[in-house]
Amino acid sequence: MTSHALHLLTGLRRSVAAGVIALFAIALLGNGAFAAEHAKAQAKTGLVEDSHHGHTHGPAGHPTAAKKFGYAYLTAYMFCLSLCLGALFIVILNHLFDAQWMIPIRRFLEHIACLLFPTMFILWIPIGYLAVDIYPWMSIDPDHDHALHAKAILFNKPAFYGVSCLLFLVWGFIAHGLRRASLAQDKDGAASHTRTMRRYAAGGIFLFAFSLTGAAIYWMKSLQHQFFSTMYGVVYFAGSVWVTAITTYWLLLYFKNRGDLKDVAREVTFHDCGKLFFAFTVFYAYIHFSQYFLIWNAAVPEETFWYVLRENGTWKWVGQLTIFGHFWFPFIFLLPIHRKLNFQAMSMMTGWAWLCHYMDLQFNIGPVLYPDGLSVGIYDVLSLGGILAVLIFMFSRAFNAHPPYPQRDPRIAEAMGVYIEPSSSKAAH
Amino acid sequence: MNAYGLMAVFETPADAMHAAEQVRDAGYSKWDVHTPFPVHGLDAAMGISNSKVGWFTFIGGATGYTTGMIMIWWMNAFDYKIVIGGKPMFSPFYAFPVSYELTILFASFGSLIGMALLNRLPRLHHPLLKNRRFCQGASHDKFILVIETADPKFNAEETRKLLASAGSKHIEMVED
Repeated sequence: MTSHALHLLTGLRRSVAAGVIALFAIALLGNGAFAAEHAKAQAKTGLVEDSHHGHTHGPAGHPTAAKKFGYAYLTAYMFCLSLCLGALFIVILNHLFDAQWMIPIRRFLEHIACLLFPTMFILWIPIGYLAVDIYPWMSIDPDHDHALHAKAILFNKPAFYGVSCLLFLVWGFIAHGLRRASLAQDKDGAASHTRTMRRYAAGGIFLFAFSLTGAAIYWMKSLQHQFFSTMYGVVYFAGSVWVTAITTYWLLLYFKNRGDLKDVAREVTFHDCGKLFFAFTVFYAYIHFSQYFLIWNAAVPEETFWYVLRENGTWKWVGQLTIFGHFWFPFIFLLPIHRKLNFQAMSMMTGWAWLCHYMDLQFNIGPVLYPDGLSVGIYDVLSLGGILAVLIFMFSRAFNAHPPYPQRDPRIAEAMGVYIEPSSSKAAH
Repeated sequence: MNAYGLMAVFETPADAMHAAEQVRDAGYSKWDVHTPFPVHGLDAAMGISNSKVGWFTFIGGATGYTTGMIMIWWMNAFDYKIVIGGKPMFSPFYAFPVSYELTILFASFGSLIGMALLNRLPRLHHPLLKNRRFCQGASHDKFILVIETADPKFNAEETRKLLASAGSKHIEMVED
């Protein structure tokens, strides 16, 4: 198991990986030192400006350990949820467009999507347990808070827990429905399974859109329940598929090198994965820019406070990372075709995308608890490491138990680049 | 009348593709394959590298983006300052949509112009268009490989032998 997990890093050269880790560590330490300095300066003047976070009902003073852990865990959880939901989306996409190039990547994405239920559901329990510590709205009386009163139909405890459970049931229904038919087709090769999967995908895409938005609203956006943004769900969606697309590329490379997918992973498959990642680089920038632009233009206090808070301290630099690291760098870097086929470069890009997406989620979640700047500590490392370890274990178990790619999909020959003459044209000769 | 090139007619895309591989490996540089429809993989068989049009597109796009940003800054924050909704005189955020539109516009101009330049278009005449067999075949059901006499490796005998061994049933010299 450990060697398996370590092998995931084989795409990176050891020295380069060490360099990246060192840079990351320096950035974290520097940030910690900066935050400590900042706190000292504030303690000296004895002024903790409340006007800054007048709108956030965020916990003032020193957060408790439960809160710290809750936020760290929520960030790590939303990161892993991104990968699972992104995988589910790409599987649905495969059937909606009847795409042949996705056949090689479909099976392992099906397994990742199936992690949504029950694994991710069980991993969600700590969030449900710590919800009162994490979500400020849970300890506010709606009769004393206009924004909460107006949204009370969504933001009340029964709705929170009820909807959360429903989301997992919906995801489980779609993901397992798709995988069940796909595995059944491996055995008998019947075309009826393809039709079943199409039906799941056609209905599933609507359920997926609503459920993902629900997850983004209940688990992330409700941290600041006063906020309005109709684009919040789709921003999370775009970021999720973005990070999943490059992770898919990496896994495809990994399984090709390990031998599982060496027959089906062709150069064109990698190129197409790279193009999907590139497309979502632009799509994410477009969506997040639109959200920011509308709020900036309208300048309504109920919306702007969200971004004002995120310009304080080091959060400003996390925002810059989203602009330049999440969009400009991958965009310019991946414009030439040959970069999308450079395994070394794309493996590095995977690590970079993970960092940028994680920081994007920190940007969404962190400022509520740490209004002065980014704070990444041992809880964050443990949470992300812990959840990922569970997911990698569950995933490898599922992946190794089944054929590595759909064996008898009607488009498998096409995906492998082989032309098989239809029997009808043979008869005509 | 001087000779333009040696034209070889092939019956199937596969034959043309194999012939292209042989011509590529023989080291010819001034030649082309004309097919009635796009044949996947032919660019690799001909040894053609990635098109340079992308650079024209990129330069066009970068010019468009810069033009948009500078234009809006010039008009709203420098030449004739206007306060709108208490916003700053200039911000890349409100200037972005227009700059983005100009990026797209100039990038498409760049692509079109780059494509025309690299293809040496517009061109009013081409020697092959006078050849009846070429015109009927290349746009209908034949796959035609033409090696120009201007090619440094061109040799009437050797080149004809190469094309014949590649499987062409009809080889003829096209006059200009």
